[in-house]
Amino acid sequence: MREVHLKILQYVSAVGIFFFVGIHLLVSHFSSGSPTSWASVVSRATSSGWFAIYIFILVFGFYHTLNGLRTIILEFSLSQRAIKVLDWTLVLGGLAVFGYAIYIPVQGF
Amino acid sequence: MEKVTYRVQRYDPDKDKKPRIQEFVIPFRHGMTVLDGLIYIKENVDNTLCFRSSCRMGICGSCGMFINNLPRLACHTPIEELKKDTITVKSLPNFPVVRDLVCDLTSLFAKHKSVKPYIIEPDMTEIEKPTGEFLQAQAQLEEFVQFAYCIKCGLCMAACPTLATDRHFLGPQPLTQAYRYSADRRDCGAKERFKMTDTPHGIWLCHLAGACSEVCPKGVDPAFGQQLLKRAMFSDSLRLRKKPVPPSVAKPPAEKKPRVAVPEFTIKKPNTKS
Repeated sequence: MREVHLKILQYVSAVGIFFFVGIHLLVSHFSSGSPTSWASVVSRATSSGWFAIYIFILVFGFYHTLNGLRTIILEFSLSQRAIKVLDWTLVLGGLAVFGYAIYIPVQGF
Repeated sequence: MEKVTYRVQRYDPDKDKKPRIQEFVIPFRHGMTVLDGLIYIKENVDNTLCFRSSCRMGICGSCGMFINNLPRLACHTPIEELKKDTITVKSLPNFPVVRDLVCDLTSLFAKHKSVKPYIIEPDMTEIEKPTGEFLQAQAQLEEFVQFAYCIKCGLCMAACPTLATDRHFLGPQPLTQAYRYSADRRDCGAKERFKMTDTPHGIWLCHLAGACSEVCPKGVDPAFGQQLLKRAMFSDSLRLRKKPVPPSVAKPPAEKKPRVAVPEFTIKKPNTKS
């Protein structure tokens, strides 16, 4: 994948985070009722819409964080070989942590 | 102010392990530039002092130095403008030191060359054997003309904070020149340049600190040039950029107008033959 595509995805993921975390915050803090009550949490966890929102937050959040981390590390004069190692570490490490993180919404759903 | 103190970086690779500072106190005169002071030191105090300079009027870009913690052209920096009677002069940061105030600009020129800073045509015959001039409207020229004022002095590269940590980063000067040629309507080689700038050490490491634009002695805005390059590359990757069209060539007129005859001398030349 070309660097320009990674950068475009970085901006898309930023907009995605803003949008989906915004929905989450609006509902959690400004909706009527008690969003932190047991019944509300269970109803959101079993709703397919909320499940999709949480997955999107995770996907966008993971991509944005790991690509941002990559950009910071790239500034340390890395060689081509070191960049390859970095890329694969971030992809495999990111997928492993993402698999672990997705467990809770999947389990709830 | 009658005297001015120069704190000059000295470094001889054969003798010194690392650069050191040497002080010189020299007479000051109104209108003196930092370069004038260095020339005075070399001519009257210490002729072993090594620095690079040529035109003395901010055109050649040879005398780039780190003056009072900012990259500047020594010939373009009046001492009175610094508002201090002590001037610290070092070689440009982000470049290896050759000797005293002379730094090695090889990396700048290599990076500059790598972005193909010249007009690229699909058919190079017109470039190699021109039959006329490429047509270009004034508005088309104005799209990139400010970036063509670059004198390759390396001050923007010395000021760049990203280049300070990543020596492989292309840097503001080559990236701005990549935009300058890609924005030129006579050029069809933007794709080739985008390949060179779309690397892990390419354009995307620019954080828009703006230090490059602050120090440019010619008023070029490399930070802006890099943002325009990013935009052009975004558009190109999303297929929103117009496909470049080879420029039309203005053919020379078929029949040349007769040249106006040069008038005869009104005063006869004296006959030198006796």
